[in-house]
Amino acid sequence: MEGGTMKKRGVGVGCMWYGIGNTGVPNPAGAFVDFLDDGTVLVLTGCADIGQGSSTVLAQIAAEELGVNMEDVLVVAGDTGVSPDAGATSASRQTYISGNAVRLAAQQAKQVLLEEAAEVLGAPAGELETASGFVWRNGERTSLALEEVLSRCRAKGKLSLGGGSFNPAATQLDADGQGVPYATYSFATQVVEVEVDVETGKVSVLRIVAAHDVGRAINPAAVEGQIEGGCVMGLGYALLEEVRVKEGKIENPALSVYLVPMSLDVPEIHTIIVEEEEPSGPFGAKGVGEPALIPTAAAVANAVADALGVRFYELPITLEKVVEAVHGS
Amino acid sequence: MNSESRGGKGPELTSFPEGPGFRVVGRSLPRVDGTAKVTGGARFAADCKLPGMLFARVLRSTVPHAVLRRLDAAGALSLPGVAAVFTAADIPGNNAVGIIVKDEPVLVETGGRIRRIGDPLALVVGESEAVLEAALAKIKVEYEELPPVFSPLEAMREGAPQIHEKGNVQSVTRIKKGDVEAALAQAKFVVTHRYTTQMVEHAYLETEAGVAAVENGLLVIWVSTQNPHYDRREVARVLNLGQHRVRIVQAPTGGGFGGKLDISVQCLLGLAAWKTGRPVKMCYRREESMIASTKRHPFVIDYTSACDGEGRLLAVKVRIVGDTGAYASYGPPTLKRAAVHATGPYEVPNVFIESFCVYTNNPPAGAMRGFGVPQIAFAHESQMDLLAEAVGCDPFTIRLRNCYRTGSVTATGQRLTASVGIEETILRARARAQELGIWRGEP
Repeated sequence: MEGGTMKKRGVGVGCMWYGIGNTGVPNPAGAFVDFLDDGTVLVLTGCADIGQGSSTVLAQIAAEELGVNMEDVLVVAGDTGVSPDAGATSASRQTYISGNAVRLAAQQAKQVLLEEAAEVLGAPAGELETASGFVWRNGERTSLALEEVLSRCRAKGKLSLGGGSFNPAATQLDADGQGVPYATYSFATQVVEVEVDVETGKVSVLRIVAAHDVGRAINPAAVEGQIEGGCVMGLGYALLEEVRVKEGKIENPALSVYLVPMSLDVPEIHTIIVEEEEPSGPFGAKGVGEPALIPTAAAVANAVADALGVRFYELPITLEKVVEAVHGS
Repeated sequence: MNSESRGGKGPELTSFPEGPGFRVVGRSLPRVDGTAKVTGGARFAADCKLPGMLFARVLRSTVPHAVLRRLDAAGALSLPGVAAVFTAADIPGNNAVGIIVKDEPVLVETGGRIRRIGDPLALVVGESEAVLEAALAKIKVEYEELPPVFSPLEAMREGAPQIHEKGNVQSVTRIKKGDVEAALAQAKFVVTHRYTTQMVEHAYLETEAGVAAVENGLLVIWVSTQNPHYDRREVARVLNLGQHRVRIVQAPTGGGFGGKLDISVQCLLGLAAWKTGRPVKMCYRREESMIASTKRHPFVIDYTSACDGEGRLLAVKVRIVGDTGAYASYGPPTLKRAAVHATGPYEVPNVFIESFCVYTNNPPAGAMRGFGVPQIAFAHESQMDLLAEAVGCDPFTIRLRNCYRTGSVTATGQRLTASVGIEETILRARARAQELGIWRGEP
């Protein structure tokens, strides 16, 4: 008991790993890139941005590959009338899989320009790059502007288009469950500090340290956002949320009785981005969408056990269960 | 078109280093949809209004297991403002959807099986939303109730009510590595517990919503979704149209977390628009969203783990039963993924894991952020702490002693060759926890 109150503190650790992409089945994504006359770029992708930020990440990947600013990229996403199939926005797969597809498409579009530039400069295309509106040779800026290369291409009837598709290198599991279910994995460790009021049973999560290996963070702020949101969703899973079903009927189908964490429930979250580069990822990236949430409930349960000396084997760890465990024993 | 991604030639970002090298990747640049979202400019499906637009709502079953004997919509059709009532008989193509198994009817046929409370029976289409509620109340339904089963453990037993033709066990995954029984016999510490996890709701901010219209012979559906190309396959098959005649446009989507990977309004909207020739809109209310949508699988996990005197893992034996409810949805891959991840990020020489995806008459469970891994992580991480207590070491130490490193071999026999960051995350999380005074143990 701290300071004579009925509150006990505890610390818990949760680790996780998570395979990126669908489990042991092909799950490709495709993308198209059109390098337009004025040096701006159109990316067509089937990848549905559901708020997680994939259109932003794909714009960054295309911009990086083509050497343009992100503002010069338009991502048209999730329209089956114009964009190729990118599979589901699920399995934390879109940064890795659609990211690779967009990068490959951008490389193909860029190749048209580089071959044209190679002719103008009398240099092998392999020594050339595009960046900041110019063609670069072995890291040195040349005087050849990107728009000039584009206009030379157009004068010759060449469009700078690219298509790419990527399927992760996974295999089906055999009868003994042996195989390569995923091409790569993300990893994480979260440390959770709780304070448990043994009188009321309330578990307050005070602080979370969340260290996530994402390969490379294409957009660190977006990664942090995913981790913070995941932690909060994990708190709901650990402590609050339960769809109560009786005889097949949901008893609490309303947000007034199905409680999710609110802003006042959000603890201090210290995110740490670990970048163990994935060689097959776009610029080394893996994924973070689901890993963000996975270790949180486990770490909370371990922290509660540390605080009380009583372990719960059933989620969620509600006030009633805590009170019963403390006073019933 | 996704109207939110605003391109165009932007200002030069002078802070970027010139030339090749990372200029854009690795930077916390603003989201392409950020302005539209924070200013309220994003137009969600619920904001959409088209001239001549109709509205639709679903009649759902109130019993968990039954045969639909009769459905009489005459009362609803006689109401002014009701444009149509559609049933399974109106579906021109294949009346079955599902990402892995096509086991879920778009609308239950007369004589067909109801498998959960909330199964769709009929679609009412009207000139206003106001008329729909009254119309639903006027549809007469007769059920022949069947004995239900709500516990997955009971559903696995012989003689349990059969929910689908092929039996209640939808899928089984087994993973074997080494000799678990021999390792358990020799281990210094063995810990066994049963862990149970609950059903949870995705609770995305925006409920399921969409608008469909027929334009120049094409069926266009503007919908909140996580997988427009899957939606296209299903709508085309259900309506017996070529895939090229169905265009799914993802509307700005207010969260999904896996719950918008399933078909919700897509096929029903397509049916109503195709049949009436008019635009049709459908938005679930929160209650309907919570009743109709899939959930996170509740798991029962029997977990045994064993280690030597220093806390080195010797064996892990796990049995997982997941309640997928009335329909498979993403249940089979959820249970397969849980099995693959059941050891946690630790190298274990002897492993036996079994997972079962089981039908019941409960609300269906499907994909939800983590796909079975949050459930199994609760179990494997509790076990790691229990082993640490038995050995007498702290929770970081036992994890560092066992975690994957480059060259480790997983339970499925996969050798990890690159990008294995678990050790680094443990070390960095521990260091930060110490700095903050959260962790006061050994460095």
